[in-house]
Amino acid sequence: MIRLISFKGLIAGLLVLLAPTALAQERRPHSILVLDQAETRGPFYDLIFSGLREVVGAHPGPRVTLYGENLDLNRFDGTAYEQSLKRHLHEKYQDKPIGVVLAIGARALECALRWREELWPGIPIVFTMVDEIDFARLGPPPDATGVIVKTPLTDSIKVARAVVPDLDTVVIIGDQWERVAVFRSWVDEIPTATAGLRVVQVIGEKMADIRKLVAELPERSAIIYSSIYSDGEGGYLLPRIAVGLIAEKANRPIVVAAETFLAPGGVGGYVLVPSAIGADAAKIALRIFNGERAETISPVSGGVKPIFNWVQMQRWNVSESGLPEGSEIRFREPTFLERYRWQSMLIVAALLVQAGLILFLLHERRMRRNAEIESQKRMSELAHVNRQATTSELSSSIAHEINQPLGSILTNAETAELILQSEIPDLGEIREILADIKRDDQRAGEVIRRLRGFLKNAPFETKEVDLNQIMNETFRFLSLQATSRNIELYLQTSPAELRIKGDPVQLQQVILNLVVNSMDAMATIPYGRTVIGRTELNGDSTVEISISDSGPGIPPNKLAQVFDPFFTTKDQGMGIGLSIARTIILAHKGRIWAENQNGGGAAFHFTLPLAA
Amino acid sequence: MPGRVHVVDDDDSFRTAMERRLRLAGYQVATYPSAQQLLDRLPEESEPGCILLDVQIPGLTGPELQGRLNELGSTLPIVFLTGHVDTSTTVRTIKAGAEDFLTKPVESKQLLGAIERALARHAAVRSERHRIDEMRALVAALTPREHQVFGLVVRGKLNKQIAHELGATERTIKAHRHKVMEKIKVQSLAELVSLAERLGLLAAGK
Repeated sequence: MIRLISFKGLIAGLLVLLAPTALAQERRPHSILVLDQAETRGPFYDLIFSGLREVVGAHPGPRVTLYGENLDLNRFDGTAYEQSLKRHLHEKYQDKPIGVVLAIGARALECALRWREELWPGIPIVFTMVDEIDFARLGPPPDATGVIVKTPLTDSIKVARAVVPDLDTVVIIGDQWERVAVFRSWVDEIPTATAGLRVVQVIGEKMADIRKLVAELPERSAIIYSSIYSDGEGGYLLPRIAVGLIAEKANRPIVVAAETFLAPGGVGGYVLVPSAIGADAAKIALRIFNGERAETISPVSGGVKPIFNWVQMQRWNVSESGLPEGSEIRFREPTFLERYRWQSMLIVAALLVQAGLILFLLHERRMRRNAEIESQKRMSELAHVNRQATTSELSSSIAHEINQPLGSILTNAETAELILQSEIPDLGEIREILADIKRDDQRAGEVIRRLRGFLKNAPFETKEVDLNQIMNETFRFLSLQATSRNIELYLQTSPAELRIKGDPVQLQQVILNLVVNSMDAMATIPYGRTVIGRTELNGDSTVEISISDSGPGIPPNKLAQVFDPFFTTKDQGMGIGLSIARTIILAHKGRIWAENQNGGGAAFHFTLPLAA
Repeated sequence: MPGRVHVVDDDDSFRTAMERRLRLAGYQVATYPSAQQLLDRLPEESEPGCILLDVQIPGLTGPELQGRLNELGSTLPIVFLTGHVDTSTTVRTIKAGAEDFLTKPVESKQLLGAIERALARHAAVRSERHRIDEMRALVAALTPREHQVFGLVVRGKLNKQIAHELGATERTIKAHRHKVMEKIKVQSLAELVSLAERLGLLAAGK
């Protein structure tokens, strides 16, 4: 029989050889008849078919028609069944030209080879999902090529050792050997492949028994699963359902050899990848459509890849490093970052932006703070200069104020000296004199103290002060100046204390500047020179202070400019007095303005917030 | 030299100290807290005296009081006292006849020296004024004719010229002239001219 097939194949090959290639190509219909060994429902074979279809569909040239037949040879066999299939196919495809017959599985290949002469003479056969042993058994078939899958038991043992490093027992679970398709060869391999290991074979048992058994397996063991198609009690099972049932109960990892067995609970192994099995076969078929001859394409091995189930690896504590080289890991639970990649990136970006913004704002704040400090420092310095200038302007008053007590002291001291030189000194008088000296000395000291406080170049600092007291002190200080310039100075303070937060020296300076300004403004008027200071509560949150004079007033068009720096109407003025007054008031969060009074003369007002 | 010192100062303490010191030096003292008060009761000028005046006092200032007193023809010398020297005030007051200008604090020696000089000046002024008053009385006692002759003689006119001017004989003029010399109690023509000048009669242009 084998010889016969070879002979016929040779003739067919010769025919193909004789025909011009281009002609053959042209004549060969672009259609593939897929003969699938499995039934329609089998997911594994379904995946093979879809892998195939994908490659064919992606092929650029003329469209290739796909016909598919599920022969269901795993469950049905016998000559009668085969004959009926053959008849069915003959009738079904007698008007359909077929370019390539593609057989999936060794049995399908066998049938195809048997039926070819009658049904599809001269048509090349491409096979796939055929294992080494079957291929060897069939001998290299004529005018046929395809994909040989290699799933030796040694590979599964290798994986079992990787999964259980101290492995001493393997439990091989599967259906009757003749039913397990590509894994059939394992039975012959067992003695050699499992050397040094205890082997427990659970073959063709009832599923219920298997499930009991796998729950109590010893340590250091691993299950190697081939395939199970029945529950052992007459019920049909899909192999991937079966592996799931076992995995549910198993207390040891299950090494599998098909990609579809991973998801239900297999830990992994060198697995058949159905889509690759289909795709590789389709590629060969396309090469034939492109003009290559089947004989010149040697069968390739493929469709197997080491793939592992990450979830099961975690369960059995399998380290990734121990797996065979090139292993692919499926179902890896994404880490938080992987799962929420965009969200995480967005959050990180938002945090970065926020951090950047915060840094920027902090920097900004620091710069502003520095600028504020710098500006306060400048203001304090300028205010100090202004106080010095004012003081020198007021020097005659100051000298008078100090020299007055000093004059009394000197005269009194000399008088006392003389009294003591007399025969009977009048001690009563001496006592009086000494009391006067003491009092005058304190007076002079007080003047100096006030002046020093005023001239101190102190940084801007606020404390709670009574504005009435500041007004009183300042007006007292100015009284002599007013006297010598023939100016009446009046002060009306509010009866209540006016507690505000401020720098007392600078506030004194504001009042001083305003009063001196008013005094200067009245230099030209012959008589009736008056300056009136007034403090009053303005609502319940602010204090208003006004300084009004009986001078000529401010020209209306200059009202807005009086506080500008270097604005002056005086010959010798620097024009900084009022400008500094405004700067100080603004630094105290107050307001300052000037106006002309109805009855003549100018009035300056400023408000300050009351201390809370 | 004894005398009365009028102290004008708004500072109580200073007034008291001054009063003590000046009394101890043997002066009589009158004190005034303001310039107005001195004006209200003007000091007697017949006795030796002087005014010790502060420059900076409220109301009427020192220099202003000086001006008012000058207007009133007061002879009391003024010694100014100030806590602060400023040149323009000093010059102004000295020009207006201030006796001295002192700065507080002032030493007694300096103060008393100034007061002594002021009193002496007041005495001199008073005696001068006294003599002039006397001389004025003598001149006033001349008859109109004699006054005419006196006026012309001190302007250097000769008897002949005077006689011609007045329409009288030279002998008559001679007799008048003799009478004038006798009444005014002078021995020579030079003395007569000097007297006329001191009374300001020459400047009048008659």
